[in-house]
Amino acid sequence: MSLSPLTWIRERVPVGPEQLRELTNEPVPNHLKKWWWCLGGTPAYLFVVQIVTGILLAFYYKPSPQTAYESVRYITEEASFGWFLRGLHKWAATMMVAAVVLHQMRIFFTGAYRKPRELNWLVGMCLLLLTLIVGFTGYSLVYEQLSYWGATVGANITDSVPVVGVYLKELLLGGEVYNENTLSRFFILHAAVLPVTMAALIALHVTLIRLQGVTEFHFRDEDRKKPAFFNFFPDHLLTELSIGLVLMVLLSVLATVLPAEMGPKADPLSTPEVIKPEWFFYVAFRWLKLFSGTLAVLSMGLIVFLMYAWPFIDARIRRSRPESEASVWIGVAGALAIIALTVWEASVAH
Amino acid sequence: MHTPERPPQPQPPPEGHDSGNPPDRRSFLARASSMGMIAGLGASYGTAGLYAARYLYPSKPRDKAWMFVARIADVAVGGSLRYTTPGGEKVALARQGSAGTVEDFVALSSTCPHLGCQVHWESQNQRFFCPCHNGAFDKSGKGISGPPGDAGQSLPRYPLRVEGGLLYIEVPTESLEVADASAPREGHDPCLDGGAPL
Repeated sequence: MSLSPLTWIRERVPVGPEQLRELTNEPVPNHLKKWWWCLGGTPAYLFVVQIVTGILLAFYYKPSPQTAYESVRYITEEASFGWFLRGLHKWAATMMVAAVVLHQMRIFFTGAYRKPRELNWLVGMCLLLLTLIVGFTGYSLVYEQLSYWGATVGANITDSVPVVGVYLKELLLGGEVYNENTLSRFFILHAAVLPVTMAALIALHVTLIRLQGVTEFHFRDEDRKKPAFFNFFPDHLLTELSIGLVLMVLLSVLATVLPAEMGPKADPLSTPEVIKPEWFFYVAFRWLKLFSGTLAVLSMGLIVFLMYAWPFIDARIRRSRPESEASVWIGVAGALAIIALTVWEASVAH
Repeated sequence: MHTPERPPQPQPPPEGHDSGNPPDRRSFLARASSMGMIAGLGASYGTAGLYAARYLYPSKPRDKAWMFVARIADVAVGGSLRYTTPGGEKVALARQGSAGTVEDFVALSSTCPHLGCQVHWESQNQRFFCPCHNGAFDKSGKGISGPPGDAGQSLPRYPLRVEGGLLYIEVPTESLEVADASAPREGHDPCLDGGAPL
């Protein structure tokens, strides 16, 4: 008697619809029915877009100073739909940074990092930094003037770190200065080391969310008689899929209307008169103009350390002053400072 | 036949004997072997990690060589010349003394000491300017504003040597492919006093 393929598979993978429902049906608080509370899923979706488009771009990309620029030009101008895939990759990177920052701001201003979720805040901080680093290494791969000098400046920033800086810089560049080995290092970091690390951290992030549940919020205008939760499957999954569809439409429009372009090829002997990094590094770039090298790097390191430690600092403040709203005011001041430095850097040539 | 008496054998302790007492030989051996295994794993993976780090770290410094620049008699006191390294980097070289020794000369790199961008000479402002973070240097290479000025940094100087009336400079010999390969990049620029004034 022959078995149906489905029965054959079920005999070997004994997981049916009931078990699948059991595995996926995390109770989801009602506020996640609104899309602006779902910003955590957005960077995860964009991460998948980046993996898929990145793999496709890697089929043609050649990471060496002699070939990199030409291979990106080939992708952009000759390979079928290469311009579209590169545009998707570029815009998804931009949107991923924006989504991670917005998600983190939502977590910060709603206090969702507080006990018992401090560890997940630390994982989220690592993901924020990795998103920025993966953006930096990816931008450097094009080997055009701005990406070359951006990579040079970025690598030299590590040199400003006391004691270990010089070793970090040489490890990153594969030599004392940008050289033949540098692009392949950036490529391996961008296409393998960082994405694998991010995938592992995203898995840990989601696992911790599943273990602790999504933070609950209660609003003044909500109906107390209604259930406080709804099912992940299919309700929340459909919300996430709808967001994914909107993102894909948005990315396609951006990639078509504002496609990724090619600047002049890198010239290691001539820094352009006006040099700017990607917009999400404007803050750091302006900071580096305001303070001397080591002071700027150490102060940025201190700010990042305080961001990591914030759940523990906040807990200490709230132990002594339970009604304190220090986190809100510090958050507002930080957000305004970031916006001000970004606008400042964007509005001037030097 | 006399059979020698065997010495009394130590009796195994009853179950749960070791709670609260010093560890007996068996538990000591179990712990020691566990510790040994952990130490062995740590040492072996640690060694592998060190090898990996050493593999990734550059195995040799940047190649450099001494290159001929000019006869010192051809460089007037107070004059300057522009030299281009085999890698294409521009070097501003000046003579500031008349002793005929290496101390008469300075050779300024065009690489900004702040974060490695290339500076260029602005004749209208009489300064070297770095477009990356607004660093500025006077004609002697001293930082005068921007992050290099704040940190008291100057443009790096290349090592020089005088032998038999000839001036030599030690410069890197490796280079990346440059955008405009047709432009002359290597060797002595014959246009004395034509470069950045010092």
